[in-house]
Amino acid sequence: MNIIKGSARIIGDEVSTDIHCSSKYLPGKDATYIATVAFEQVAPGFAKAFNKGDVIVAGKHFGINSSREQAVHVMHRMGVSAIIATSFGRQFYRNAINNGLPVIECDISGIVAGDALEIDLVAGRIAVTAKNITRAVPPLPATVRTLLEAGGLIPFLQKHPDWNVGGEAA
Amino acid sequence: MGHTIAEKILGQHADGKPAKAGEIVVAGVDFAMIHDARAGNALKMIEKLGAKSLPHVKRTALVLDHYSPPPNMEAANTHVAMRAFADKHGSPLYDVGDGICHQVLPEGGHLTCGDLVVGTDTHSTTYGAFNAFGTGVEGTDVSAVMMTGKLWFRVPETIRIELKGPLQPGVWAKDVTLTMLGKLGAEGANYRALEYCGSGVSAMAIDDRMTLSNHAAELGAKAALLEADEKTFAWLKAHGSAAPKPVKADADAIYAQRIVIDTATLAPQVARQHNIDDVVAVPDVAGQKIHVALIGTCTNGRLDDISQAAAILKGKKLAKGVRMIITPASRAIYLAAMREGLFEILTAAGASVEAAGCGTCVNITGHYIAADDQVVISSANRNFKGRLGNPKSEIWIGSAATVAASALTGVVTDARTVAGGDWRAAA
Repeated sequence: MNIIKGSARIIGDEVSTDIHCSSKYLPGKDATYIATVAFEQVAPGFAKAFNKGDVIVAGKHFGINSSREQAVHVMHRMGVSAIIATSFGRQFYRNAINNGLPVIECDISGIVAGDALEIDLVAGRIAVTAKNITRAVPPLPATVRTLLEAGGLIPFLQKHPDWNVGGEAA
Repeated sequence: MGHTIAEKILGQHADGKPAKAGEIVVAGVDFAMIHDARAGNALKMIEKLGAKSLPHVKRTALVLDHYSPPPNMEAANTHVAMRAFADKHGSPLYDVGDGICHQVLPEGGHLTCGDLVVGTDTHSTTYGAFNAFGTGVEGTDVSAVMMTGKLWFRVPETIRIELKGPLQPGVWAKDVTLTMLGKLGAEGANYRALEYCGSGVSAMAIDDRMTLSNHAAELGAKAALLEADEKTFAWLKAHGSAAPKPVKADADAIYAQRIVIDTATLAPQVARQHNIDDVVAVPDVAGQKIHVALIGTCTNGRLDDISQAAAILKGKKLAKGVRMIITPASRAIYLAAMREGLFEILTAAGASVEAAGCGTCVNITGHYIAADDQVVISSANRNFKGRLGNPKSEIWIGSAATVAASALTGVVTDARTVAGGDWRAAA
């Protein structure tokens, strides 16, 4: 998962994943249902037109407020391969890593819907080759990459109950 | 090179040396908490993890506070599952009516200075009032803590906020945080820790300090740490906490930002409807009509808040057309308020008192759904559109003093202008 390629899907600023991508306000509805209607109020048709492997490109504070990790479970069902955003809500950022979904803070200017994005998690680079956009981003810390590679914190601990993250990140 | 409180506490719980902001550490967690709004997910994650044993489960409390009492069968069933889990594993359990997680954890003696505490709630920053690093996490995190006793953390940069001078009577920690929200904006301290210091903090009673650390969640803060003093030690001792291991910042610690607030001259503040960072001084909006007044929540449902409200409403009646609900943050506060006769004063004034819990903070129990065009003034922490069940109503946020003074007059009112608005907790 060091290199991720996917088509850009745009969403705005200050999107609460509790409101728009969880069953917090839709009690009794499961993740399968939420995955078909997620983000409908802020980006009509978003979930319907989402293809497996697409990358969510969001503005600032994506996932603000008390973010439920169910949102990440829903995004996995939608087939989200990564999220790049100007910034993330703290709890959402953590939930994404814990559940094996790459999240990268990055300047998103110039990126539009349908752009073919290439994300290099190790080198720390976001590119849209067709538009000559190449942006350096801080590479994800080794511990975070280890958790992502394992598919999240739970699969990681199932293999490494001693928290042996290896390498530099002990 | 010096270190912040956050760097020291996280480092001490990792390899024993102070950590550096930006670093990722795997740190031992002293105590964890799951509340009922996240327990459904947390219990699923524990099952998914499939650990052979959960050696640290006795240091994880289960708290039934959000759905207290349960408003639907799903919540009632979650409660049953939580009780069964606590019974099976010997975890501390706080049942319906016992109180809000952030109040019952300190009251139950579960944390002390220098501790690292996590909870499935953004307001877990509250524990910073006791010089403990408290932060919000999710079910996956807590299941990891139960199994391994550890968790990964990115060490946050810190914003140091100096409060210069004791607050005037009628002005509270709530007004300080609202000032900060006006300055930095909601999420203005995203990913960061806060350190509050100065004579303004020293002068505050513990109840008010808890507001300061709690309400930092609206700034997006990961933790909100205060240094410990004699008041902290006395409070912790009275609640049976373990011996404190106080942690201070070094004089040459590196801060992302330094802010000074002249707390000695600060006026009461309110956040206007829908945005917690749309903050104005109360005198600038005095006269704005209100219909519903709410005092409670983990931010301002403590004994000092209720005492302040009673001081203002003693021997008086709520303004015509105003409804008021008081929801104590815990059973211990409820009992203390009863013993002190505060509920008699408030009930005689026309207010209603509810059992302890998250109550009127958010419309998940249906405790208070506002009508169209009604203006609610609340001592809670969030006011986004529809939080009380009706997007056509408004929620304004202020201190318990501002809420009580406004309930008395029927319009947004500066507590400094009404009798009893200068009430102060005994130091």
